[in-house]
Amino acid sequence: MTLVRYLVRRVYHSIPTLVGALLFIFILVRVLPGDPARLIAGPEALEEDVQRIREQLGLNKPIHTQFIDYVTAVLKGDFGRSIKFGTPVINEILFRLPYTIILALVAEAIAIAIALPLGIISALRPKSKTSYIASVISLIGASTPVFWIALILIYIFSVSLKLLPSSGADSPRHIILPAITLSLVLMGNLTRITRSSVIEVLSSNHVLTALAKGLKDRIVITRHVLKNALIPIITIMGLQVGNLLGGAVITETVFAWPGIGSLLIDAIFFRDYVLVQGIILFMVLVFIIVNIVVDVIYAYVDPRIRDVLWRMS
Amino acid sequence: MEKVLEILGLRVYYELPQGTVKAVDGVDLDVFKGEILGIAGESGSGKSTLALTIAGLLRPPAKVISGKVLFRGIDILRLSNDELRSIRGRKIGIIFQDPVTYLNPIYTVGFQVGEVFEAHRGGKILKYLNEVINLFKAVKIGDPERRVYSYPHQLSGGMKQRVLISMAIAEKPELIVADEPTSALDVTIQAEIVELLNEIRKELNTSIVFITHDLALLLEIADRIAVMYAGKLVEVGKTYEIYKDPLHPYTKALISVLRYERKRRPTPIKGSIPSLINPPPGCRFHPRCPYVLPKCSQVDPKLVNVNGRYVSCLLVGGSDGGGS
Ligand SMILES: Nc1ncnc2c1ncn2[C@@H]1O[C@H](COP(=O)(O)OP(=O)(O)OP(=O)(O)O)[C@@H](O)[C@H]1O
Ligand code: SF4
Ligand SMILES: [Mg+2]
Repeated sequence: MTLVRYLVRRVYHSIPTLVGALLFIFILVRVLPGDPARLIAGPEALEEDVQRIREQLGLNKPIHTQFIDYVTAVLKGDFGRSIKFGTPVINEILFRLPYTIILALVAEAIAIAIALPLGIISALRPKSKTSYIASVISLIGASTPVFWIALILIYIFSVSLKLLPSSGADSPRHIILPAITLSLVLMGNLTRITRSSVIEVLSSNHVLTALAKGLKDRIVITRHVLKNALIPIITIMGLQVGNLLGGAVITETVFAWPGIGSLLIDAIFFRDYVLVQGIILFMVLVFIIVNIVVDVIYAYVDPRIRDVLWRMS
Repeated sequence: MEKVLEILGLRVYYELPQGTVKAVDGVDLDVFKGEILGIAGESGSGKSTLALTIAGLLRPPAKVISGKVLFRGIDILRLSNDELRSIRGRKIGIIFQDPVTYLNPIYTVGFQVGEVFEAHRGGKILKYLNEVINLFKAVKIGDPERRVYSYPHQLSGGMKQRVLISMAIAEKPELIVADEPTSALDVTIQAEIVELLNEIRKELNTSIVFITHDLALLLEIADRIAVMYAGKLVEVGKTYEIYKDPLHPYTKALISVLRYERKRRPTPIKGSIPSLINPPPGCRFHPRCPYVLPKCSQVDPKLVNVNGRYVSCLLVGGSDGGGS
């Protein structure tokens, strides 16, 4: 019950953020160069056709009326119709969403599977080979631009070895390269955070208490080091997944992966401002939800935070 | 008297990039059955390093350079990891200074105390719930049936320290090392904790090594006192003898500060504790000693027996450092 109360309160407190985001998106889209009505009408259209389209879109109304219309529609769950496709924006997003979700999850899973053990071992055995590998991976992840990683992988696996497809989403094999690209970027960060978090907990005083009880090293490590070290790691994982669910713009574009990220790029190039608005709003929503989920997981692991959160609700 | 612990020629150094910290540099000390032995010394004199060595908890960069720590005749510095583990928490308990950071914030205190039983008797922690509740009663934690389910942050500082004490006494160890167990607490709670340790000593006939920078506190509870200065012991003796007639100039200064404090006229010792990377040559106290002699900066005085008291000073007992 406390959890439900907490969630209700969190959603309620998200409203100002949401309204702020709506206003920001609305203004941003309108100050972007280019006239959507003219774009839709085509380069050879007559001035009256353009005017007609402008009226259809409501672009001739005063700006504050447009904003009120927009917010009212959004609150009703109506994200508008895409200018380019003529379909409801929500449909476009929902159609692309599964691709983005699967890419995000596979990439994060690969990153976790490699970064967590690597970070932990390199913290426990700082002079081992593993520790060296971990440093290299952190460095690559932190210093190499994602498109560069993507191009190198494409060159190796698609162009030279002809092993994997480099664009599209026609078969399960298509996800391999974009997922590895993304996971390499995530891995660097995750390895670094894991290592530093474990090192920090290792030197903390409660570990000395655990040793003083005569507990086995294995139990001290799993129970009193790793579980504590997990707290900051969870935050990073949550934020990473949150970011990815908003669409990995560069990776999706390079690999022509039909997710939210490449949809956004299309929408921007086509001046499909309704679609742009919809996608950015969707990203804001994802961000808010992921933050709430991370806090709940956090509270589950750390009783101090649990107390504070639950008490406030 | 029966010796529980015998420390012989112990040197423990920290090897750091900027130099070697000689934190414990030649300590000889006995702990007898059922006594409270106080160790007094300024901050940085090596007290905690000594405590961790006794409890078998040294970690890098700490390194034992030489010496023996005989617990019941067995040198704990030469035990395997497994042998050491069976002593830690069962034969030797340790209580740390800061009860906040020495408990794990994400487990209930009952679970954390139960772990001591799990470590030495095996089985599920839940099995030991009653033992833990009884321990909480023994250390006077109110409402123990409910408190076992509390998390550390839900308890006061004094309560947390009682939890740590209950951990240390869970397996009725022969030796408890208490490293400044009251320094982080209010004065009133300090007194309660000291009283509790005293009761535990009587009840279990446990020996307690009570470490503090507060000599006045030791005068109240310790049977014997060892005074530590810059990694060495300068004087060891019965509490009332040390209070009545301190022999070493450093002890004299500490006691006189206490006496003056009672007359509300504190005169602290001039200067501060020297660097343990480059300690002064000869007697380490000589830069601050009011009785300093020319030879004090050349000859390192040994700890010698003067009528049952141990003192290391060239002025006392004819000690000239040549090992007379
Ligand atoms: N883990 C460590 N790494 C490096 N140096 C250390 C470490 N622990 C202690 N030292 C150094 O060893 C010396 C003795 O420290 P120790 O903690 O034993 O003194 P102490 O008497 O307990 O002091 P305090 O009253 O401040 O607790 C100090 O110079 C300290 O800086
Ligand atoms: S040996 Fe010398 S310097 Fe050291 S305490 Fe004695 S008199 Fe003072
Ligand atoms: Mg200390």
